[in-house]
Order: sequence, then C-alpha cells, then structure tokens
Amino acid sequence: MSLRTDPRFKAAGKEIGRAVAALAVALLVTFVVVLLTSQDPIKAFGTLLTAPFSSMRTTGLWIDEVAKLTLTGLAFALVFQARQFSMGVQGQVYVGALFATFIALSPLGATLLALPLGILVAMLAGAAYGFIPGYAKARFGANEIVSSLMLNYLAIKVVNYLIRAHLAPTGTGQLMTEKFPAQSIFPALLPNTRFDLGIVIAVLSVAAVWFLLYRTRWGLKLRLVGHNARFAEYAGIPSSLTMISAMTAAGAIGGLLGAVYVHGRAFGRLAIDFDGNLAFEGILVAIVARDRPLVVPIVALFYGYLRQGAQLMAIRSDVPSEVISIVQAIIILLVASSFTIPGKAFWVRLFRFGPARTVEAAGK
Amino acid sequence: MVPLIQAKSISKTYPGGTLANDRVDLTVMPGEVHAVIGENGAGKSTLMKILFGVEQPDSGELIYDGKPVGFAKPREAIDAGIGMVFQHFSLVPSFSVYENVVLGAEPRTGIRFDREKAIAEVEALSEKYRLKVDPLPPVGRIPVGQQQRVEILKALYRNARVLILDEPTAVLAPQEVEELFVAVRSLVAQGKTVIFIAHKLPEVLEISDRITVMRGGRTVGEVLSRDVDEHGLATMMVGREVTLRVDRAKDEGPVSLEVKGLHIHGESGAPICQDLNLRVRKGEILGLVGVEGNGQSELIEAVAGLRSVADGAIYVDGKDLLPLDVKARRNIGLASIPEDRIARGLAVGASVAENMVATRLDDERFVRRGLLDLKAIRAQAEQLIGRFSVKVGSPASAIGTLSGGNMQKVVVARELAEQPKLLLVNQPTRGVDLGATEFIWKSITGARDGGAAVLLCSADLGELLALSDRLVVFYRGRIVAAFVNSDELTPETLGRYMLGIETQSPETVRAALK
Repeated sequence: MSLRTDPRFKAAGKEIGRAVAALAVALLVTFVVVLLTSQDPIKAFGTLLTAPFSSMRTTGLWIDEVAKLTLTGLAFALVFQARQFSMGVQGQVYVGALFATFIALSPLGATLLALPLGILVAMLAGAAYGFIPGYAKARFGANEIVSSLMLNYLAIKVVNYLIRAHLAPTGTGQLMTEKFPAQSIFPALLPNTRFDLGIVIAVLSVAAVWFLLYRTRWGLKLRLVGHNARFAEYAGIPSSLTMISAMTAAGAIGGLLGAVYVHGRAFGRLAIDFDGNLAFEGILVAIVARDRPLVVPIVALFYGYLRQGAQLMAIRSDVPSEVISIVQAIIILLVASSFTIPGKAFWVRLFRFGPARTVEAAGK
Repeated sequence: MVPLIQAKSISKTYPGGTLANDRVDLTVMPGEVHAVIGENGAGKSTLMKILFGVEQPDSGELIYDGKPVGFAKPREAIDAGIGMVFQHFSLVPSFSVYENVVLGAEPRTGIRFDREKAIAEVEALSEKYRLKVDPLPPVGRIPVGQQQRVEILKALYRNARVLILDEPTAVLAPQEVEELFVAVRSLVAQGKTVIFIAHKLPEVLEISDRITVMRGGRTVGEVLSRDVDEHGLATMMVGREVTLRVDRAKDEGPVSLEVKGLHIHGESGAPICQDLNLRVRKGEILGLVGVEGNGQSELIEAVAGLRSVADGAIYVDGKDLLPLDVKARRNIGLASIPEDRIARGLAVGASVAENMVATRLDDERFVRRGLLDLKAIRAQAEQLIGRFSVKVGSPASAIGTLSGGNMQKVVVARELAEQPKLLLVNQPTRGVDLGATEFIWKSITGARDGGAAVLLCSADLGELLALSDRLVVFYRGRIVAAFVNSDELTPETLGRYMLGIETQSPETVRAALK
C-alpha cells in the first residue's frame, strides 16, 4: 500500500488540515480583537506572531514552555487513554517540586547527586500523589475528577504555606526559597538562555510514554481498559489495577514536571504559585493531540508559541493580556469540538434561502 | 410503470478503505414491498443510508420520482418523502409516544404546542395504518415492538411516501412480526412503498413482492418473490450452497464440567438461580433453554468468573473453578463467546490484532518480559483472519469498521484460536447473517469434536435444537426439564416447559443428565 492511499495517512492528513484551519480561524479572530483594542494593531499582531523569535532569550522562553507543556500534556494523555479523568497533574507538580526542593536544600543539594536524586524523589512523590485518587476510586468508588481536583488545592496550599512559613529565608518576607546551589540547577545548553535540560527530559519522556503505551503489555492493557473496561474484565485483564497503575505513572510524569520547574533555569528555586496554571493546560494539549504521545510535543510547540507570543504582546504593546485567554478559548473550541472545514453543502445551504426551509428551522 | 426510486451504479468507499457499494443498482416500483437482502457486510445498510442522505455516494446516480436527486442529509430525504426506521431507534425514552412522533414538527397554535391536536393526529395515523399504540405513555415504558411502531408513525407523520425498514424483525418476537406485517400490508394498500432490509428468508418471502439480492457490495440479482424459494435465495445471497445442518456428537466422553447445587444472587440479594445441578461431558454441547431472564446467562457468567456465586460448586475436570479469577480460568482452557459482542466481547476502538491477542497477554509467543512482539501478534491475527474468513482491510483496522457478522467472527476466532477445554457460548449468531451463522456453527461443533465441553445459550430455539446434544430448560432460575436431543423434540414441547406450564420430576431431569 502506498503512503498516499494508506487510510491512516489520509486520516492524519485530514486531522492536520483541521488543526491548521482551527489555528487560522483562531488567529483571524485574534486579529479582530487586536484591531478593536490596540492603537497600532499591525505592530501588536506582528509581535504576537514573531516575538518568540525576536531573540535567543525569547526563543529560550518559548522552548522552556514547550518542554513543560509537553510533560503535562503527556501526563494527561496517559490517564485519558485509560479513560480516567484524573485532573491531578497540578497537585503532582507541586508535590514533586516540593520534594525536589528538599533534596536541593539539603546537604546533598551541593553534590553531583543533586539532580538525579531530585528528579527521582520528585517522580516518586508525584506517583504517590497520583496513586491516591486511583486507589480511592478502585477501593471506595470515589470519583477521580473530584478527588484529584481537591488534592490539587491541597498540594498547592500546603506547598505555598510551607514556603511562606518555613522554606523562605526568615525575616525577608520573600515568597520563595533561596536560590538552589549550582549543582541543583540544570546546566544551560545555550549560555544565557532558558534552553536547558528540561527540553531534553521532555523529548525523552515522549519517547518513553510512546514506548510504554504501544510496545509493552502494560500499555496494551491500559489502552484496552480505556477502550472498554467490561471487555478487559471478560478477557482477564484486571481493570482496577490497570487504572491505578495508569494514574500512578501519570503522577510520576507530573512529579517530573515539578522537578523540571524547580531545577530549571527559569526558577532554580521553589516559589509560591510557581506554575502559573500551566500544569492544568496539559488538558488542552492532550485533547488537541487526541491523547497520542507523539502528537503532544507538536501541539505543545504551536500552543507554546502562541502563549509566549501573546505574553510578549501584552508586555510590548498596548493590547491587554486577556487576549491570550481569547485565543486559547477559540483554539479549544475549534479543535476539541469536531470542527470540520466547511464543505460544498455548507455554502449551498448558506446561500439558499427558501421560505419552507426557514419555517422548518424555526419549528426545530 | 415508472419506478419510484432508481439507484444506478452507486459506489461508495468508506474512509477506512472498505468498498461498501460497488456499482449497485436498485429499482423500486411505487406501491410495492421491496426486500433488499444480503449477508451482513453485503452493503445493504450503506445503500439505504445513501437513499436516506446519511451517506453520500462517491459515484452513481439516484433518481427519485423521475428526477435525479442527491440528499446531503436525512432532513432533505424526509422533505422529499422518504422515511427510515433504523435498527437502533432514535426515540426519547422519557417523552410520551405522541411527543416522540411530533418532535421537531409540532402542531402549534401561536407559539403554544397544541397537545390535543398532536394526540388526535397520532391517533388518526395509528388508526389509519393499523399501527396500534397508545399515544400517552412514555416511550421508555412500552415494549420494543410498539417502539418500532412509534418510529414508523414518526415517518408517516412527516408524510413519508417511502418507508425504509432496516432489519425490522431482528428485535421482534414472532407474534410482533405478524403484527408488523399486517401494518406493512395496510401501508402498501394505501399507496405507500416499503423497502424492507432483512436476512431472515422465510419472512422476506412472506412479506415482499420483489427482492434485490446483494453480496459483497454488489447487486447479484432482482427476483419476484413468487418465483423463488428459500433455498434458491440462500444460494444467491451466499454465493454457494448453504447447509445449516450439523452432525451430532459421536460418542460420550467423560464428564468435564460439573455444576453442583449452584445458587446465584442478584445485586439486591434476590435469588437468580437456585440449586442448579448439571454435568457436561467432553465433546458434548449442552443447550440452555429458557425465555431470556430466567437465569441461563447468569449461569454462564458465573462459570466464566464474571459473576459471584452465593453457594454451590463448579468443577472442570475435577478442579474447583470458584477460587480462580477470570485469567486463571482462561489459563486452564476456558473460552467464552459472550452475549453482547460490542459491550463485552470486543474493544471496538482497538485494532483487530489487539482484540485477537487480548486474552493471551501472558503467552510467551506474543509477550516476552512485558514487551509486545508486534510481528507475532500481527502474524497470528493474519492467520486467524484467514482461518475464520473475517472480512477486514488489515489486522491494524479498528474493530468499529467491521460489520456485525465480522465482529462476531473476530470474537469466535479469538476464543477458538486454541482448542478450549470448556466453551461457553451465549447468543452466538444474534444479528449475524446466514453465511457467518453457518461458519460459527461449524466452529462450535469443531471445538466440540476437539473435546470441548460446551454450554450453549440462545434465544433462537432453532439454533439450540440444531446444535445441542442435550438440553436443559430454565424457568425462574431453576432447571425444570432436561432432554436428550432427538428429531422428535419440538420447539412446542420446549415452549411448555419454558413458560412453566409443565415441569418434569427431579428423577426425570437427573436421568437425562446422567
């Protein structure tokens, strides 16, 4: 079968077309919004489109966000594939970040062990935090959406409290810890940018999640449970065990993201509300990528670019920063809903006004 | 006479690459009952969806009432006077019958929904076409046969001239089929045209005037009903001679499955099965007879490990099954063809190959050290697709792209890939066409001849009588009769026990189950 006729490639082409069309429409609407809110709309819109590439520094900001969006997107994609709607990535990020910070601020933080140990501990903590809603669901029938959201608030508040009351240097009133020792901060791949180990970790994670899902027995079980839990039970696949393990594994990725945050060059410390809600936007990335791990980084690239561009537009022009929310909302609407490029029938209908038809539409 | 509907050389390829219609022709005369028959996957439903505007053809011409047409969506077909009743109804269960009928085209005075007028119109329609149904109760509370009438009324209310009925008898009991046919005749007598999709041949011959036969996406012929018989139609449909006769088991083997004093309770604690005792020998099929809901399915689920048991014991070759989980039971040679292939037997979104390997994830041939051997999995799928002649693009195709009969073949292929010791079968051919039925029956008797003890449950008495070596009848969770199958045993005899009119003495039951 040639590439051109293989239905899988056809389907992929169709979906890419759809995503691109959604992006174009979102940009169009954004342009209109900019037109209405800015004195110099062309310059502002130009900033949105080109700013991330305006310097090595801004490119680094973009890539840093791509890495983080990729990791949170992967975590969500993994639980979504098992048809579990755990929203707990944000909480796992905070717990992971907290435990990585413990390592970094301990005597070990100034040794070569700091990074590997910090990452490992963060992943374990995230996994444990992801395990809780899974176990509660299997054992007590607790709804994982509710329990994971509550666990998010719990983690954020506890971490913020710990920073303010115990981890911040006493007497300074700061809302963050001291800067970590150099051994506890990712080395820069390009000097003076945020181009650090984070993106490497994200790429490796993509490969790892893809491999786990599509090349291992665990992954196949997870996907079968996601497709039809009653079938899995009938086929002899323990569905609650698989479900719990999926949530735990996703938790480890969440914890890893926490470590990437605090060890990354952007922070190098633990600060209050450090994730700026980015962890939650993994839901969007996973949905647009239709839970496929190899598509997650591609979506993250585009989405991160827009996100960064909008932030820079907010700083460098007179357009209000809320515009980013508008762009986000439109992209979610267009891509997550089954948006299709309007076909011939649509245009025919649009321009055919029959009295009978309008009456019918009113009756509907 | 001028044809009312003419489809000329219609072709349709689905995105998955399946060529569902290949230059199909169909000519329907006004005022006739025109049956379109063919096996599952022959392309009947696709053709009907094209007529009704659900799908668009890739090429070909559609002529309706003398004019070329192309319906972009069902709304346009409905406006043109075509109505379709799908196998799966689209009704709002909590709405009343009349509300469902008028929904979307309500009679109104001003902006107010005129309920009295709606009820009157629905009553008039149901009177006129002999589609008896009470307009007031919620649709969810009336039997399936009446729900179907509501669907037909819905189409008639929208002034349908042509009614497409997609396998209308599949969901009906024998008496309801008779009532449906009365309504169909009354519709035709009053000038309507009916297109009838089916694969049960006696019904087709009884109700239709003309028959178009489809096979493998093509039209193989059009015949007048009075010119053909069942045998001839079956041969046209399948493309070869079909024999739905199977040989009985040859000799008695040792007892393999033994159920002793089994009690099963429902979730509320109410008893579902009480004191079941039965034995199945190696190489024998035991048929579980009974009106649905009398405990047969629950017994099968309990043996499969999908339902807990309140009391009693189940042994396979002397080994106690109850402490074992599903996987362990499968590992000692249990295979199971479940009642509902979509809800339980398959992961519809996953690929054919993944479905076929799902029960053997501990097998060294397919999984080593937790890693999938994709080559071996694919090779096994290809081999099973060939052996069970499943019609599918490739092992990587999603199950959802297959027809019902082919989905069932995937289930059968997976469960019979290796010779089982104990085979549980529930409704093996529900919604499955003739060719596939023949094949599935042969597969089951093949497993039996290979030495499996088989428990067979089916709503189709013909199937039970054709396949079983012995039969037990369930009534209210108890075994009330047992028979050694013979040509003298008739559905009528079984029916009396199924309805609880007669009961055998425990001694007679025990003697038949020795």
